Amino acid sequence: MKKIILTVSIIILFLINGCDKGIEPADEITSPTGFKGKVTFSGNWNNNIKRTHLVVFKKPINKDDDFFPPNLTFVIDSIPKGASQFNYNSLENNYIESFTISAGEYSYVVVAQSNTPALSLQRKDWVVIGVYCENGDQTKPKKLIINAGRISDDINIDVNFNNPPPQPPGGM
Amino acid sequence: MKKFFFLLILSTSVIYSQSSTGTIKGRVVAVDNSPLEGVNVFIPTTNYGSATDIRGFFEIKNIPFGVYNVEFSLIGYKKELKENIDLNQISVNVTVILYEAAFETKQIIVSAGKYEQDKEDLSVSTTVLRPEIISQKSIHSFDDLLRYVPGVQMTMDQVSIRGSSGYSKGAGTRVLTAIDGVPFYSGDMGDIVWEMIPLQDIERIEVIKGPASSLYGSTAIGGVINIITKSASKNPFTNFKSYIGTYDKPSYDIWKWDDSYRTFYGLSLTHSNHYKNLGYTFSIKKFDDMSYRQNDYYKRYTAYTKLNYLFSDSSNLSLLANYLYSMRGNYLYWKDSRNALIPKPGEENNKVRSNRLFLSLIYDKKFSDSFTAQFKSSYYRTKFDGIAIEFTTSTANLFRNELIGTFNLSDKFRLISGLEFSYTKVKSNIFKSPDYFGSGLYAQMEYNVTEDLILNAGARYDYLKLDTLKGANAITPRAGLNYKLTNELILRSSIGTGFRVPTPSEVFTSAGVGGGIDVIENPNLTYETSISFEAGLLYNYSKSLRFDAAFYQTEYNDFIEPNLTYTGDIQFINLPKARVQGIEAIIDWDFVPQMFKLNISYNYMWSKDIEREKAMKYRPRNVLYTNLSYNHYPFEAGIDFRFWSKVEEIDDALVEPPLNYVKEGNKRVPVYVADINAGFNFFIGSLPAKTFVSLKNIFNYNYVEFLGNIAPIRNITLSFELFY
Repeated sequence: MKKIILTVSIIILFLINGCDKGIEPADEITSPTGFKGKVTFSGNWNNNIKRTHLVVFKKPINKDDDFFPPNLTFVIDSIPKGASQFNYNSLENNYIESFTISAGEYSYVVVAQSNTPALSLQRKDWVVIGVYCENGDQTKPKKLIINAGRISDDINIDVNFNNPPPQPPGGM
Repeated sequence: MKKFFFLLILSTSVIYSQSSTGTIKGRVVAVDNSPLEGVNVFIPTTNYGSATDIRGFFEIKNIPFGVYNVEFSLIGYKKELKENIDLNQISVNVTVILYEAAFETKQIIVSAGKYEQDKEDLSVSTTVLRPEIISQKSIHSFDDLLRYVPGVQMTMDQVSIRGSSGYSKGAGTRVLTAIDGVPFYSGDMGDIVWEMIPLQDIERIEVIKGPASSLYGSTAIGGVINIITKSASKNPFTNFKSYIGTYDKPSYDIWKWDDSYRTFYGLSLTHSNHYKNLGYTFSIKKFDDMSYRQNDYYKRYTAYTKLNYLFSDSSNLSLLANYLYSMRGNYLYWKDSRNALIPKPGEENNKVRSNRLFLSLIYDKKFSDSFTAQFKSSYYRTKFDGIAIEFTTSTANLFRNELIGTFNLSDKFRLISGLEFSYTKVKSNIFKSPDYFGSGLYAQMEYNVTEDLILNAGARYDYLKLDTLKGANAITPRAGLNYKLTNELILRSSIGTGFRVPTPSEVFTSAGVGGGIDVIENPNLTYETSISFEAGLLYNYSKSLRFDAAFYQTEYNDFIEPNLTYTGDIQFINLPKARVQGIEAIIDWDFVPQMFKLNISYNYMWSKDIEREKAMKYRPRNVLYTNLSYNHYPFEAGIDFRFWSKVEEIDDALVEPPLNYVKEGNKRVPVYVADINAGFNFFIGSLPAKTFVSLKNIFNYNYVEFLGNIAPIRNITLSFELFY
């Protein structure tokens, strides 16, 4: 009996000290996480436009609902009408305070315009005018890759009002 | 001279016989010090034996001097062997406590079906718990007890039977909890306040797995937990219990937020007695827990009274009153995984104050052998104040009346029928101030076709109207059978429907939860329905080895779940379809009878949101519970182990961009929790006492049941109980 108690005690002590501890604290990240770049415009601005935002989507847009949170991940401040270039930084130009962006891959980054004074969350109110893409081919969206503790830069989008990109599903 | 020798021999033998035999006598009582009548008391391998009288006393006379083992046994109680009783004088006194058997499967009466049935005659899976495990496992709140029940899953304080619920901060339970058959959930949230359940006053707990809407209506769509309270003691009985404990230091230095040990303690005093035809039980309790997390403390005070008046052998009235006052910190989520035991910034001082009063009145009248009626009336007042930047408050008054008739139409045929009305008035600044009316009419019959085959079937009609919402009508039929194929093998099967009307909190909540996220109302929320099927078997391989297995499936329509809307708010919505399927297996093995017992249960569950084609949130696919217990008077000990596989789906929207409301909230792991406990029974003078030590989460394993909430870290409890 004593041997059994001793053996069980040793096993329990071994398990107590040797087991996986489950959830662990994440590594500390001291530097900020985000992205920055510029949007350049060519062609003429539409006078009726009230808002122009750079927006980030987690996954490609396949249906109306994909245009909004949680797939809509980040919104940059509205770009002033008539601008020919807009430099932005996600840390300084976060339009929706409660939204944050963290490390990961984001499939669809675009500049979109709306003619509603307030920020609308209706797909039909928006038109995509520029896409973050490979080699200027707006039919091939490029993934935005964000690493923890780093600012991904050169996330540039060229908007040509005379050559708009293909529109995602939904809308007007 | 011959006469002299004869007299000498005779006198010597008389002296010898007078001094060489004696009497073993004493008393046998239950754990509450009440006398046990009819206990068999005998000395194994001899013909010496006796039985206890109505006061629990026994006497075995004319036993030759010597050292004996004496065995005490009574049906429904664990056998006790009192060893090495040294009989070397005229009489030896022995006092013995017999303990009711926990997790028994045979000859257990279950009344959750609104009348008393043998557990082995049921058509649905049922677990019956005895109150001894509350002391053995150092249970301080009823929800901790449910963590050891096969097929039952606790996610924080929200109960789910066979995957019926995920997690919604307690709003809209799908498991009906009842005290003596009287439903016990609040009028506004529909939640259950576990700390109100009087742990020291429980006779047994019945857990019915599967929908019971055909008897209990809306809330019982996932099952029923029926808590039967003790009757008043026939003799004066007082129980004092206290416990004290402390949490260990966290696993990681970075998690330490307080240099001192965080402690908890509780005190309770219960007194019970009879005066003529009036039985009464009073108890008061205080609980205090500093918690291992910042701003997660609680202080609770409860008072409980049960009065029972016996008008005659065929009629009695009982009144139960239960009151709770609590003040607790309102810990919602961790700051992040590096600060896993402190709340999000701005939530360090949030607290909740609660006042709750539950009253129930039950009148039983047996009109004849074939007809018994029962009237149940209850009032449940709940009030909470959430004290934070935004002040929230809600007061709900819930009234309920039910009339039940049991007709024994023949030896083989029984009919149970009832009528129920309820009314709730809510006054709140977050749920609006709706009122809620409910009514139900039900009937269920049981037919013993043969000695081995029992059929039952029934249906319930409900009409519920929640404030301005359109009234809901539902008819919920069910049917079941129980077939004893052999003496050892019992088959059961049932099919039933269920429904649940949303609670005021699910429809009308309109409040901020922080971080710019609001919960918004959904006046279009409609009631959910379900259809369930179960097939199971019970196999008594031997007296010491039993198997129970079941397959179950439930299809839900319009299943109500919290969801993130496209505007970034949380809203309860109806999922078009959801399905939960599973297999449950239980092994109960007394591998050293009356001493070592092993209980293993395994549940494989596949839940599916059919439209989204993924698992439902907070439902682990694999759950394993094991318990090894040792009982050899005066010692008791046990080891428990719980395993959950990693939960597949959680509220992703809360832990991922864009909201990222709970930072690193997607950190989750499989759950491995082991607890050990040991106890010693002894006497202080002639008063029975017991002490237990319990070490929970012995590996200090860090896991979450809900995102951003580390479950209790390793903690130790020392408890003491005295009965007089």
